[in-house]
Amino acid sequence: MNGKKLAPTALNKLRKEAVQLRLSGETLASIKQQTGLSHPTIISAYKCFIEGGWEAVNTGKRGRPKTVAPSGLGSPDECLTFMLANLPDNNGLWHNQAVQAWFNHHQQPPSLKTINRYLNAWGITAASTGPKLTPPSWLAQHHPEQLSTYHPLSDNADAATHTKHLGITKPQQANSLKLKVIKGGIGQLSLTAAQKTAGLDGYFIYAQDFRGKRYWLMTRNQPDSQDIIHFLERLSNQLTSNLLLSFHSVSLDRFTDIQQWLANQTQITLLTYATSKSSTPLAPLPSAAEQQSTQSYVRNTMALTHLQRLEAESIQIMREVVSKADNPVMLYSIGKDSAVMLHLAMKAFHPSKPPFPLLHVDTGWKFREMYTFRDELVKNLGVELITYMNPEGIEKGINPFTHGSALHTDIMKTEGLKQALNKFKFDVAFGGARRDEEKSRAKERIFSFRTADHRWDPKNQRPELWKNYNANKRPGESIRVFPLSNWTELDIWQYIYLEQIPIVPLYLSAERPVVERDGTLIMVDDERMPLQPNEVPMMKSVRFRTLGCYPLTGAVESEADTLPAIIQEMLLTKTSERQGRMIDHDSAASMEKKKQEGYF
Amino acid sequence: MAHSSEMISDDIVQYLKDHEQKSLLRFITCGSVDDGKSTLIGRLLFESKLLFEDQLAAVEAESKKFGTQGDNIDFALLVDGLAAEREQGITIDVAYRFFSTDKRKFIVADTPGHEQYTRNMVTGASTADVAILMVDARRGILTQTRRHSYLASLIGIPHIVVAINKMDLVDYSEKTYNQIREDYLEFAKQIGIENITFIPMSALAGDNITEPSNNMTWYHGTTLMGYLETVQVDDELMQKAPFRMAVQWVNRPNLDFRGFAGQLASGVVKPGDRIRALPSGKESTIATISTYDGDLPQAVAGQSVTLTLNDEIDISRGDMITSASEPASIGKQFETTIIWMHEEPLMPGRTYLMQIGTKTVTASITDIKHQVNVNTMEHLAAKKLDLNGIGECNISLDQDIAFDSYKANRDTGSFILIDRMTNNTVGAGLINFALRRSTNITVQHTEVNKAVRSTLKSQKPCVIWLTGLSGSGKSTIADLVEQKLLASGHHTYLLDGDNVRHGLNNDLGFTDQDRVENIRRIAEVAKLMVDAGLIVLTSFISPFQAERKMARDMLDEGEFIEIYVNTPLEVAEDRDVKGLYKKARRGELKNFTGIDSPYEAPEQPDLNLKTLEMTPEEAADKVIELLKQKAMI
Repeated sequence: MNGKKLAPTALNKLRKEAVQLRLSGETLASIKQQTGLSHPTIISAYKCFIEGGWEAVNTGKRGRPKTVAPSGLGSPDECLTFMLANLPDNNGLWHNQAVQAWFNHHQQPPSLKTINRYLNAWGITAASTGPKLTPPSWLAQHHPEQLSTYHPLSDNADAATHTKHLGITKPQQANSLKLKVIKGGIGQLSLTAAQKTAGLDGYFIYAQDFRGKRYWLMTRNQPDSQDIIHFLERLSNQLTSNLLLSFHSVSLDRFTDIQQWLANQTQITLLTYATSKSSTPLAPLPSAAEQQSTQSYVRNTMALTHLQRLEAESIQIMREVVSKADNPVMLYSIGKDSAVMLHLAMKAFHPSKPPFPLLHVDTGWKFREMYTFRDELVKNLGVELITYMNPEGIEKGINPFTHGSALHTDIMKTEGLKQALNKFKFDVAFGGARRDEEKSRAKERIFSFRTADHRWDPKNQRPELWKNYNANKRPGESIRVFPLSNWTELDIWQYIYLEQIPIVPLYLSAERPVVERDGTLIMVDDERMPLQPNEVPMMKSVRFRTLGCYPLTGAVESEADTLPAIIQEMLLTKTSERQGRMIDHDSAASMEKKKQEGYF
Repeated sequence: MAHSSEMISDDIVQYLKDHEQKSLLRFITCGSVDDGKSTLIGRLLFESKLLFEDQLAAVEAESKKFGTQGDNIDFALLVDGLAAEREQGITIDVAYRFFSTDKRKFIVADTPGHEQYTRNMVTGASTADVAILMVDARRGILTQTRRHSYLASLIGIPHIVVAINKMDLVDYSEKTYNQIREDYLEFAKQIGIENITFIPMSALAGDNITEPSNNMTWYHGTTLMGYLETVQVDDELMQKAPFRMAVQWVNRPNLDFRGFAGQLASGVVKPGDRIRALPSGKESTIATISTYDGDLPQAVAGQSVTLTLNDEIDISRGDMITSASEPASIGKQFETTIIWMHEEPLMPGRTYLMQIGTKTVTASITDIKHQVNVNTMEHLAAKKLDLNGIGECNISLDQDIAFDSYKANRDTGSFILIDRMTNNTVGAGLINFALRRSTNITVQHTEVNKAVRSTLKSQKPCVIWLTGLSGSGKSTIADLVEQKLLASGHHTYLLDGDNVRHGLNNDLGFTDQDRVENIRRIAEVAKLMVDAGLIVLTSFISPFQAERKMARDMLDEGEFIEIYVNTPLEVAEDRDVKGLYKKARRGELKNFTGIDSPYEAPEQPDLNLKTLEMTPEEAADKVIELLKQKAMI
C-alpha cells in the first residue's frame, strides 16, 4: 500500500500498529499482511520508535509549508515576518514599544499610534478591553482562593483600587511578597487572505497586565509546551516582579515539562485553569513531542546509534567515489561483508540503482551455494554483475589441491583481480575489507592508492582528514576504497540482523559432509575434491565464519542456525574470524606482504 | 567486564536489542611509546574482552621475541601494526583500533608522538571527540605534552583527558599527581583549553582503567573507561547548529525525481523547512527527505540522506544547502590556519587545489602572516612552511565558496590542499574568517577588449614562454623570434631578466619562494600584455613546473605556449656567458639553478628545442612555424 494515499492520522495509526507487531516479534512479511504497509515503512516506523518513542512514529505533516515573502523595507508585513522569526535582543518579549523600536531602525518609522493600529488589526492587541477590571475584583471572580495571598505591589495603581474596592488593609510587613497579576493566553494572527498567501501566518503567546500592556512572542505553528516554556522564561526576564499568572485558552497542568519548569523557579505562580468567559479556547494544545515536526525554533536532537553513524559514513564514502571516479566498480565476494557493502550501496543511491557494476573475481572453487546465492541476489536487486576468471589459470588448470593455497590464491585471486581491473579499465574499486580484520589493516586508508601495477606502498599513502577524501590521481593509477573500514565483525553481524540483509546460508549451521585435514574441517562440496585413502566424508553440524574457496575454508562445528545464535557464538568463542582462512596462517606480516603485491 | 556474557548466553535477542542502541565515540591518544600509549590501548582492548585466544597467543609468542615486559604480555604488541614498525619499535602512522563496551563503540586513532609526526596527529585528531594526552608521572608536563595540547585545541577537540600514567612508578603519590595537575592547568589557561579531566593511572598494572584503583584511594574521580563511556559526543552538539549539507551527488533516476544526496554537517532538517542553496543564494523548501527506508520526518547532523525540493532550482555537486534563516557565509579570500603535510614546502604565490566539503577550487597562498612554533606557541615570521609547519596564511580562491568558520563548524570550515602536479594531499586548513578587502573590486565591463585590440593588430595574442637553464640560449632565441615577428608586422614585447629583475622585481632574491613570486609577477604582467593584444615572449629560467602551470592557468586556453630550450647542463655550464656557473661552483652564488637548486624540465612542452642539434636561427624558425600552425600569426 502506498502510505502517501492515506491521511496522516490513518497512516500514523497503522505505523503504530506495525511497531507493536514488530515488538511482539512478528516477521516483516506478516506485519505487511496485517497492516498493508511496505517493508521500508515498517522498518522506518520501528526505527523511529527506537529512536524517539511512540511520538516519533508519527510522520510529519505534508503539503506545502508556509513561506516568507519579502516585502518593502520597514513595511508592516516585514515587521510581522521579523517578529515571527525573532525576539527582541534584551531577552524579553515583544511589546508595543519594542515594535516601535524595530520600526525606528527603518526608514520613515510610523507613530506609536499607527503601530498600535497595526497590532490591533493583526489581533495581537485588543482595541477595546471591555469593562475595566481591577486585579482583586478579577481575582475574586475567577480565582477567589488567591485573594487571601494576593498582596499588591506597593506604589502601584493596583494597590489603591484594591484596598478601595474590597476594603482589605495593606499588609503590615513592608518586605512581604509583592505580586503582579498577569493574564496570558494563545491567539492566532488575524490576517488578510493576501497576507496569508504571502506566507504570513502564525500564532502568538501573550501576557497582559491590568493596565492593558501586552507582551508576546510569535510562532509560525501552533505553539506547544516548549514554546510556552520559552515564553515563560522570557516573561520572567521581562517583568522582574513576582507574578501570578492565569493562563487562558488551555490548561498548563497537563504538560509535565511546563510543570517541571514552574517547579524549578519561584517568580511565577500559575493559577489553576479557570474557564474564561472572554476568550474561546483554541483546539487542544499538542504536546512538544507531537509537534516536533512543525516547530519553528525548538529543534529536536536525536542521538545516532553507532550503526547509524557507521552507515552514514559508508554512504558518504560511496557517494564521494561515484562523484569523482571515471569508472568505479564494487568488488563482490558473496561473503557477509560484501552483502553489507551492497546493501549500503542500495541505500546510498536510492531511488537510483548503484551507478556501478559488481565485479566477482571467481576462482572456480567457491561453494556451490555461493554461486546460487549470488545469481539470485543480482536478479532480485536488478544490479549489474561482471564475473571474471583468470583465463591463464583455467588453461593451466590451477587448483588449490595440486598447486597449493599460495599459488592458487596468487594466480586466481590476485592476478585475476589485476587482470579484470585492467581489462575493464576500472579506476576505483570498492572493497569490503575492515580495519579490525587484521593488524596490518589498522593503518590502511579508506582511499588506498595503487600504482599502475596495482602495488600498495605503505609509505606513500595520503593523510585523510575530516571527511575530505582526495581522489585525484594520474592516468593508470587506481584507488581501492574501503567503505567498511570502521566496522567490526560484530557491527557487520548486528547490521545484517537489524536490516535483515540476506546472506549465504553457509554462515548458518547445518549438516554438511566434511573431512578433517590438519585439524581443519573441509567441506566436500563437489566431486573435484580428491579424497585421501581411508578418508570418508562424515556429516557434521557445521557452519562457516568466512567464505572463500571451499578447499581453503575451514568449517567450525556449531549448532548456531539463526543470526542471533551466530552472534552469540561469535561473542562467546575465543578464536578470531580469519583463523578459518588458511591463507593467513603464515607469519604475522604475510597479509601486509600480500597487500603490497596487490591481493586486496 | 565490558560485555555482559551472562546476557549473551541467556538472552541474546535482548542483548542485541540493547546493543543496537550503543553510541559511537572517536578518540585520539597522544604521546610517545615511552609514555605507555600503546600499552594503554592494548589494555583497553584487553579489558573490553574483545581479544581472541589466537590473537592473545600470537601476542604472547611475539612478547617473547620483541617484548619489553619480560615474561608478561606486552600489551603494546597488540596494537603495533606494520612489520617495519614492529621491528623499529616505533609507530609511524595513524592506526585505527576498535573496541566496544555495553554502552559504546569506540574508534581509537593511535598516533605517534614525535614532532615529525605532527601531521599524523592532526589527521587522527580531525575526527576525534576526545583527546587522551599521555603524561609519564615520573617526567611531568613535557614540551611534547604542550605540543599535543596545542594541536588538540587547534583542531577543536571538545574534551581533553590528561592521563597521568605510570603512577605505579611514583608510588601512587597524590603529591606528584597534584603537582602535574597544577602545572597543566597553569599552561592550559594560557592557551585557553577548557573541559580538562585528569586521571591518574597505570596502564601496565590496570589502575583506574576500568576499575577504581585500590592503590589511589585519594582519587575520587572517574576511571578512564567510565569517562569514555559517558562523555558527550560532539555529534549531538552539531545538531543544534544551523542546518548545512554539502551536495555530494545529484540523484536523477527519472524525470520525476531530482534529489540532492549528502551528509548533514550540522543542524536538523524537516520537510517544509526553508533552505538556501549556496553560493547561488536561490531559495526553496524541503519537499521530502528520501531514504531507502522510506521518507523521514526529519534528518539530523551526521545522517546521509537525499533531499528533494519544492522548486526546480539549479543545484549541483559542490553546492551547499543551508538553512534559509541562518545560511553559511560566502567568500573568496580567507585568513586560515594551515598545517603543512608534505616534504615539498608551502610557498606563497603557488597555487594548489583546495577541497572543501564536496567543492574543489584553485587556491593561492597570498601571504604567510606568521608561523606558529608548536612547542612554545610563539609566532615567527616565515617565508614558507615546511613539513609539519603550522602557519596563519591568507588565501585567495578563483571562485566563491560557501563556508563557516572552523570554530563554528568543523566540517564546513575545514579543507585540504592538493598539489596539482603530484595529486598528493599536501596541507590541511582551517578557515578562521573571510577577508573582505576585495569586495569593492568588481570586474569593470569595457567595450574595447582583447579581441578588438588583437583584431586591429591582425594577430592572436599569446605568451611564448621560454624555459631552460641559465646559458641555454633562451634570450638569443627570443631575440631572433621577436625580430622575425617584427619584420612581418606583428606587435610584440619581450620580458626578460634585464627589464624585469632591475625594475618590477628588484625586491626579490633567488630563494625558492622569491623565484615563485618572481614568476607570478611576470605571469601577471604577461597576462596584461596579452590583454593588450600583444605577442609576449618571456625568457626566464622558470625552473619549477608548478609555477609554469600557474602561469598557464592564468591565461586563457591556448594562449600559453611553453617552449623548452633544451640544453644539457654541461653544455650550458661550458658556455657560461655571464660567468655565473663558475661563481656558483665556487659557492659565491647561492641557489643557482642546475647547481644547488633543481630544474624541473617540462613534461609536455609545446616545443622542445634541442639546441645541440640546431642553430639559434633554426630554433627561431621552428617557433615561428609553431605560431603559424597554431594560427596565432
